[in-house]
Amino acid sequence: MPPDGQTRSRLPPPSLATAGLLAPAYLWMTIAVFLPLAAMLYFSLLTRAPFGNRPAAFTLENYLAFVRRPYLLRVAWTSISLGLWTTGLCALLGWPAALALARTVGGRARGALFLLIVLPFWTNGLVRIFSWTMVLSEGGLLDQAVRLAFPGLRPGEILYSYPAIVIGLVHAYLPYMVLTSYVSIASINPAIIEAAQSLGARVPVLFATVLLPLSLPGLLSGAVLIFVPVLGSFMEPRILGGRVGVTMGTVIEDQFTQAFNWPLGAALSFTMLALVLAMFALLAAAMRLRTAP
Amino acid sequence: MTGTVSRRGFNLCLGSGLTSALAAGYSRRAHAAETITVLNWQGYGTDEPWALKLFAEQTGITVRHDYFNSEPEMQTKLRTNPGAYDVVLINSARTRSIAEEGLIDPIALDAVPNAKDLVPSLRDHANLTQGATHFGVSWLWGMNSLAVRQGKVIGADSFAVLSDPAWRNRAALFDDAVTEIGVGALLTGQDINAPKDLNAIAASLKAMKPNVKLVWSSESEFDKAFAAGAFDVAIYWSGASARAQTRYHLPIEFIVPKEGAIGWLDTLCIPAAAKHKAAGLTFINFLIGPQFYLQWAESAGAAASANGAAMAQLPADNAIRTIHKPEYLDKLQFMSMLPDDRRQAFVDLWSEVKAFYAT
Amino acid sequence: MTALGRIWLALLLGFLYLPVIVLVVMAFNASPLYALPFVFSLRWFAALPTDEAILAATRNSVLIAVVTCVLATSIGTLAALALSRNTFRGRTVLQLLLLPPIAIPWLIIGTAMLVFFYWSGIGRGLHSMIIGHVALAIPYVVLVIGPGLHSLPENVEDAAKSLGSTPLHAFFAVTLPLLAPSVAAAALFAFAVSLDQFVISYFLSEPGVTTLPVQIYGAIRSGFTPEINAISTVLLGASLLLLLLFARLADFGGFIGRR
Repeated sequence: MPPDGQTRSRLPPPSLATAGLLAPAYLWMTIAVFLPLAAMLYFSLLTRAPFGNRPAAFTLENYLAFVRRPYLLRVAWTSISLGLWTTGLCALLGWPAALALARTVGGRARGALFLLIVLPFWTNGLVRIFSWTMVLSEGGLLDQAVRLAFPGLRPGEILYSYPAIVIGLVHAYLPYMVLTSYVSIASINPAIIEAAQSLGARVPVLFATVLLPLSLPGLLSGAVLIFVPVLGSFMEPRILGGRVGVTMGTVIEDQFTQAFNWPLGAALSFTMLALVLAMFALLAAAMRLRTAP
Repeated sequence: MTGTVSRRGFNLCLGSGLTSALAAGYSRRAHAAETITVLNWQGYGTDEPWALKLFAEQTGITVRHDYFNSEPEMQTKLRTNPGAYDVVLINSARTRSIAEEGLIDPIALDAVPNAKDLVPSLRDHANLTQGATHFGVSWLWGMNSLAVRQGKVIGADSFAVLSDPAWRNRAALFDDAVTEIGVGALLTGQDINAPKDLNAIAASLKAMKPNVKLVWSSESEFDKAFAAGAFDVAIYWSGASARAQTRYHLPIEFIVPKEGAIGWLDTLCIPAAAKHKAAGLTFINFLIGPQFYLQWAESAGAAASANGAAMAQLPADNAIRTIHKPEYLDKLQFMSMLPDDRRQAFVDLWSEVKAFYAT
Repeated sequence: MTALGRIWLALLLGFLYLPVIVLVVMAFNASPLYALPFVFSLRWFAALPTDEAILAATRNSVLIAVVTCVLATSIGTLAALALSRNTFRGRTVLQLLLLPPIAIPWLIIGTAMLVFFYWSGIGRGLHSMIIGHVALAIPYVVLVIGPGLHSLPENVEDAAKSLGSTPLHAFFAVTLPLLAPSVAAAALFAFAVSLDQFVISYFLSEPGVTTLPVQIYGAIRSGFTPEINAISTVLLGASLLLLLLFARLADFGGFIGRR
């Protein structure tokens, strides 16, 4: 096996076996996703969707959308900050839960809890979001509960605000973080933990030097699975955000459902994708530098 | 489904003129066992189960449905599925451009007997005709205008109520660029389809910011939020207001303010590549007739029918009738065909206004 | 420490189930507008057996989800193995290629699939929905199994082989059981992603053949009633029973973690 840290030009091409393992997945994705996206990429360079009898010309205008429509910069920032908040909160809430699941619960109970955490996932996302509106609205369940517990306090309405969107998003994506973190934590060799404990490491040190670093892959995986889709989310912002719920996702959706402007919608999506890919390419490079011997 | 005549019996009848009569009967039954596919909004009349049952009993034609959630989506489905649909619902604002693309057929109104009862100004509206040729059959009309909470909002007679400080954080707007630009155009005295001064419209819409609580995109969302008391003034559809009153007894009042209101007209059309055009026309005839409309209006609450005779048969206190007064037809500016770049300009402007509301 | 961990878990579950409880409770509320005060009624459940559209949609959803789960998990696991085991030229690119399916809004992918499948003759229907669902589930599978593989000791398989096991046997007898928690998690994910996927289903469904999320999405436009809550409750109940049964029969606790 070639050692890590070799310069890229000396990396061997994939072996036959490796290629065989990769082929089904990537072939499938090529036909179903990459080729259609290539068609969309082509569209994004046109002036209008190439249907009907009016000709479409080539243009780069759509990729200048952020220049031509400066308000989009603030909308993009809204999406990014939603992504950061959601990912951060999911990590803060989910990682300890995964740890608790792996270390404080055993046997049958653990299995049952594991499944219970996934179960809400199996209800329809839209109906779940709508249930949140019932909890968060003025006069809704949360409002009534607080008033019952603390009469005189009028919390007012959380619905139709930025925090409401974050709550909805965190709720929708939390299981991802719990599961990926759990997968990582569960595969940490218990011997390492015991060794650290026997050397006298106290809990905070244990966390910082053993548990957290070794479960980093899980955390990162979860971060990817959460941050990336949240960038393009439009259901939670729309339903929970009221007039505040304007994100790249809603703007892109408008291009498809109000104007027939596929080129602009596609260009905005690919711009976002480029941003995400750049971020992760940088992250991957940084990780490789860190783990190089 | 085939005739019960045995082969020998059939041969015996060959010589006699009986066969021609039998053959005619046989072919009518075979023709009648057709299935047509209709493309429409979900829950917008054409898929009412009782109606489909009635229609099947009368004509032997079964109706299947495919749905769309936005007008561009309807266009996409038409373009990418030639031959899949036999009847399609098209907002008259888009009828002509779709006809120009060659996606729908001209319709000879004499093949649609109930068309003679359509209100002439709607039947021959410029949006769906080219000279004397009709590209769609006018089916329903309605208005997008002010809706207010009865008993709480008194004396509202202008769209300006949407920026009135009395209703701070108590307004809901419709998430549709064409409608909201239209409201802005009406407020600034312009043509909703060809406004000259978009900046004035932008200013009038942005002035509503302190009042806007939410931007709704479906009737269901509106009704639930209204029932929960989230807002008191809004832009709403006339038909949906009627439904909210009759079905859910919501305290909602629909107002056509002094600036006028935005009108829309939905048409039923035959796709050019349709495989069952005659059956499609039969269904259209059924839909615009009073038998279907009256029962639909009573049971589900609908928009106003373009069939004047049918409307006149509604009970005088029916919410649809009280809201859709015929004299409004002259006060309305109907949504009409928009060139692509103008539609894009509207969407961009509305997008910018929404982003402004969000800050 | 243990008590703290368990309290945290309990709170987390409380948060996760709050809207689910609301969902279930509202299925028993008489008001079609979800208006309070609460009035007990079974009308929405009673309406279900006659609502052929919703039943057919649910059947399709579950069918597609099961097929997607099996296909995506198997081919995703293979890919995950290849990506994490060896370093080879183009590995980073392949890893980055997992991002577009989850980064690009599903509306775009859905429209792109619609157009491309139309041009290429694949067309719309159950088969196209499955193609789409599996393609979108694969990145999730790979990204969930990845971290589990990362901590897998690589020489365990080599040890088995040096003891005389064939590579295939080593894989099935050694690696796969160690991977079990990750594969199980990935499978659950793939199922959930498919079950809740409405955008792709929406674009690729044929007239008359639809899935539950598509029905719900359409109903949101035309007016959704608590009947949606009723069917969701039924599905939830069925899933819960299934999972508890599974947890009882298999020693799932041991299956998903070594302790």
